[in-house]
Amino acid sequence: MATIARPYSDPAGQRPNVPSADIQLPAVKSYEQVDEEIIGTLRPTGKWFLGLGLAIFCMLIGAAAWTYQIYWGLGQAGYEPPVMWGVYIITFVFWVGIGHAGTLISAILYLFRAGFRTTIYRAAEAMTVFAVLTAGLFPIIHIGRPWKFFWLIPYPNWRLLWPQFKSPLVWDVFAISTYLTISTTFLYIGLIPDIAVLRDRETNPVRRQIFAVLSLGWRNSEREWRHFARAYLFLAAFSTPLVLSVHSVVSFDFAMALTPGWHATIFPPYFVAGAIFSGFAMVWTIIIPIRKWWNLQHYVTLNHLDATAKVVLFTSLVVGSAYFIEFFIAWYSNVPVEQEYFWNRVFGQWWWAAWIMLTCNMILPMSLFSQKLRRNPTWLFILSLFINLGMWFERFVIVVPSLSHEFEPWQWSDYAPSWVDMSFLIGSFGWFFMWFLLFIKQLPVVAIAEVKEIIPPKLRGTVDSHGASAHGGH
Amino acid sequence: MVGVLGAFAELDGATGAIEEIKREGFTDFDVYSPTIRHELEHAVHPPQSKVRVFTLVGGLLGVTFGYWMAIWSSEYWPLVVGGKAIASWIPYTIIGFEVMILVGGLSTVAAIFILGGLPRLTRTIGYDPRFSGGDYGVFVRCNADRAESVESIFRSHGAGEVRRER
Repeated sequence: MATIARPYSDPAGQRPNVPSADIQLPAVKSYEQVDEEIIGTLRPTGKWFLGLGLAIFCMLIGAAAWTYQIYWGLGQAGYEPPVMWGVYIITFVFWVGIGHAGTLISAILYLFRAGFRTTIYRAAEAMTVFAVLTAGLFPIIHIGRPWKFFWLIPYPNWRLLWPQFKSPLVWDVFAISTYLTISTTFLYIGLIPDIAVLRDRETNPVRRQIFAVLSLGWRNSEREWRHFARAYLFLAAFSTPLVLSVHSVVSFDFAMALTPGWHATIFPPYFVAGAIFSGFAMVWTIIIPIRKWWNLQHYVTLNHLDATAKVVLFTSLVVGSAYFIEFFIAWYSNVPVEQEYFWNRVFGQWWWAAWIMLTCNMILPMSLFSQKLRRNPTWLFILSLFINLGMWFERFVIVVPSLSHEFEPWQWSDYAPSWVDMSFLIGSFGWFFMWFLLFIKQLPVVAIAEVKEIIPPKLRGTVDSHGASAHGGH
Repeated sequence: MVGVLGAFAELDGATGAIEEIKREGFTDFDVYSPTIRHELEHAVHPPQSKVRVFTLVGGLLGVTFGYWMAIWSSEYWPLVVGGKAIASWIPYTIIGFEVMILVGGLSTVAAIFILGGLPRLTRTIGYDPRFSGGDYGVFVRCNADRAESVESIFRSHGAGEVRRER
């Protein structure tokens, strides 16, 4: 919150095809228009009901698989020793990665004063919260006895037992739970002024009362805004290292082990770049249909998509470099086990997974060097699906080939996910989209108060004593 | 008589009114705005927010607690893992860092509530729903004998509506 983009000023002086850091919304003229159009997105449509029904159906598939697995045991997952990490851990890392773009957009881009975040950050923040909620399920599923998960949490207990704080798995508990708490708080704090807008316009007394409670009696007073803006800045400052730390900690789950392909110092930045890459792709997957179906093209403009495409292109190049550095270090290290492993990854047993990864994450995003394609929402949506696929396979390539091809050849094995594994994967998408679709019909998917900041305010004269101009500049 | 409320459709009308009521010696007033407008902040010229104090104290408490929890519980049940010291500060930095972010972040949120007067459970006098929409508001607390001068200031700056709140 607080102004990060200058209000729209001079349409004639801008080159329409070149996005700048402070992207404007020339088709949005007044505060009333903002209220009307964004609140208008809260009306359910047929497509929304269809999407929600599909999401719930997929979620129920996952719930049924979990029930089955609890009854029959963890043997129903496709583990084949020594591959004792499979789809559950892959999907855990995948969803944690998806969760990174939201806080990156809302916090890091806020600190960097990147104006293109204004109209997309709410959807991205909600995506983050629901993605981390989804990710958090998988370690619990993976332990096989989900009712024991609380043993990971440090609390005084009669057995006088405490978690092992030197274990990366305990670091995960702290990192993920902190990330979920701070992301949820960040989302809710940013929502308070918008909920107050809903409260003041709601005619249904029950909903009005609910919004009144959720808005905490927010009045839009200068005192509230002053402390709010300051707190938002500090939350952004705290969230920034948090974003970088969370996927670094997740990467320690692998990098702290001696397993070939995992024991690499490059893992933390490699994981963080991959997380931002996949998170932005998921932002496209959700925001491009939303802007089309709810006619929000003048809020999420082609300039916004163009700017996000540049982030995706940059992170794709970082991830691609990391892939090459892994190969280079394996060759340069002259360690036969590492060299054998990486050869097997690309040309051996798992070549198909590695090439899906390389194609989706390195080759296809190269298309974004073309400005024409960066400004083509249809292509960006299709590309986002490929990137989502590629990033899931990236985690597959990290987890499975390493475990199936360790030091001793007699241990080498195969791995194939069972129908239970795949049901959980489908269920995770259902769970995520169910929450997201419910969110966008209850609360504004575009931040009302923050969009108003970049709309020119109504003025009596051309310039007042405080520098506000009729065009909104100051 | 509690005060006088003015609703302004134009931002410079509101800032002008604020300047004038300050010049007239009124100090007890609230300003409302649909979004953050720095022009209003400049006109009101409020003291700097104390949120940073909450953030700093919360962060320091968090990092201390994170390290303490990891070190104390390790010493309580000493178990050598991987040949490392019982209390290894390098891995415990992760715990200290995460708890610092957690407690510091939650303290910052607590600061919004404490300093901003939230949650506000009762209906407040001097607020109008249009202030979350497109209008700016100024509410001056004053006695009935000074209300007229406030009303005239508001009207001279183009207030769309001026009313006395009781």
